[in-house]
Amino acid sequence: MPRSQVTNYLRPSSPEEALTLLRDGGKSARYVAGGADVARTLPSDVTTLIDLCAMNLSSIEERPDGIVIGATATLSEVLENGSVAGVCDGVIVDMMRKVGSPLLRNIATIGGTLASAHSWSDVIPLFLVLNAQVTFYNGEYRTLSLADAYAAREELADSIITSVTIPTSTAGDYAAFQKFSRTAYDIALLNCAAYLHIDDGRCSEVRIAAGGTPRLGERLPQAEGVLRGEALNTDTIERAARVARDTTKTADDRRASGEYRKDLVYAGVKRCLEGIAGKVEA
Amino acid sequence: MTMIDITLTVNGEKRQFAVSPAGRRSLNCCGEGYKSVKKGCESGDCGACTVVLNGRAVTSCIVFAAKADGGTVLTAEGLETDGKLHPIQEAFLEEGAVQCGYCTPGMEMATYDLLNRNPDPSALEIKEALSGNLCRCTGYVKQVKAVKTAAKKIAGEAK
Ligand SMILES: Cc1cc2nc3c(=O)[nH]c(=O)nc-3n(C[C@H](O)[C@H](O)[C@H](O)COP(=O)(O)OP(=O)(O)OC[C@H]3O[C@@H](n4cnc5c(N)ncnc54)[C@H](O)[C@@H]3O)c2cc1C
Ligand code: FES
Ligand code: FES
Repeated sequence: MPRSQVTNYLRPSSPEEALTLLRDGGKSARYVAGGADVARTLPSDVTTLIDLCAMNLSSIEERPDGIVIGATATLSEVLENGSVAGVCDGVIVDMMRKVGSPLLRNIATIGGTLASAHSWSDVIPLFLVLNAQVTFYNGEYRTLSLADAYAAREELADSIITSVTIPTSTAGDYAAFQKFSRTAYDIALLNCAAYLHIDDGRCSEVRIAAGGTPRLGERLPQAEGVLRGEALNTDTIERAARVARDTTKTADDRRASGEYRKDLVYAGVKRCLEGIAGKVEA
Repeated sequence: MTMIDITLTVNGEKRQFAVSPAGRRSLNCCGEGYKSVKKGCESGDCGACTVVLNGRAVTSCIVFAAKADGGTVLTAEGLETDGKLHPIQEAFLEEGAVQCGYCTPGMEMATYDLLNRNPDPSALEIKEALSGNLCRCTGYVKQVKAVKTAAKKIAGEAK
């Protein structure tokens, strides 16, 4: 690792102050939340670190519009929170237990996880299907869906994520998550998440996503189309999983081949939907 | 090189350290005698450097020391009291969960965090709690047993 040139470690107490510090520092300044990524991959031209964890942004609150998770809440705090556990029968807890180990989850924050936008992130596909809304500060506060936030990434480059809101679950909401990795502790070869709202036996809302394809987690609109308005049964599940396999863009990298990833998309979508079908019947 | 001063309460003792602003595994406190905080992968993957920071077990190699300023750190050195081993340490010894011992302090600190929050963990919960602590010598079976034994010892002491 090249020798660090960092001369300042700053701990601003508000997003306003943090943004000013970043803008003053230009290319040589970097935000740090948990630091799990920054500590390992600090570019040698960074001279100023701006720690976002002294801004009092780590609370998790249940509000009428959903569960608002402060950006600097650690992944452990999210995993252990009672309101979070209530989302779609504990799907966020299921997913979080597969993110690294407790030692990592005690460091890494939810804001840092969404900002670092790793293609293999386990959090991103699930938060996409749960319709997570991200609130940013870049001179003013703005809230965007996670998908829109990634689409506008360049424009949001110096923004601070201040919170992420997960809609509260209502009757008929179901979700599931699947991760494929070489060992339980490894990062994903591929992951999938699905959310369905089932009304009168039919899927009135459908969101399916995959990550680690190896692109950044994204929705699978064609597979979603197969289920929208349909009943969830062996036949529709099989068709949706095949369409997911056939329409998802996958590629080779050092972890897996694109061809293998297609099979994983099929298996992942199928298992998510079968898991949901099991819960609907129960 | 620029240095900054930080204050940490390490194993109950408040101390000042001069660290580089991007210094990290310096939760090892700059090699200041906390030999239990081992050097392994230096990238958060192996758990050899685990300490309990502000009550939670973390891989100290990926925590900036400056971030910990004002915080409380517990290392395996701080587990024993007046020369008497902590029940977690006793259990690791009794169950033969220590071979070369390189992973042991980290495992013990992860166990400390687990048992603080969950005094009677299941085997699965133990495995999950230790999933970030790699051991090249054992087959992990004895560590799981050791954590169970430690839980029993701590419950016995509380009675
Ligand atoms: C050993 C290890 C194992 C891992 N395993 C997994 C896994 O199994 N699954 C998985 O999904 N992930 C895994 N990860 C990735 C991990 O989840 C991310 O590294 C972590 O979430 C980053 O969070 P952080 O708070 O530490 O971010 P930091 O390292 O502090 O920051 C990451 C980036 O985001 C920026 N940033 C941070 N916070 C904000 C904010 N609020 N607003 C704007 N920008 C911000 C920083 O400038 C930086 O560029 C693993 C990481 C490690 C080290
Ligand atoms: S040395 Fe810190 S996790 Fe390996
Ligand atoms: S006892 Fe040797 S690494 Fe675990």
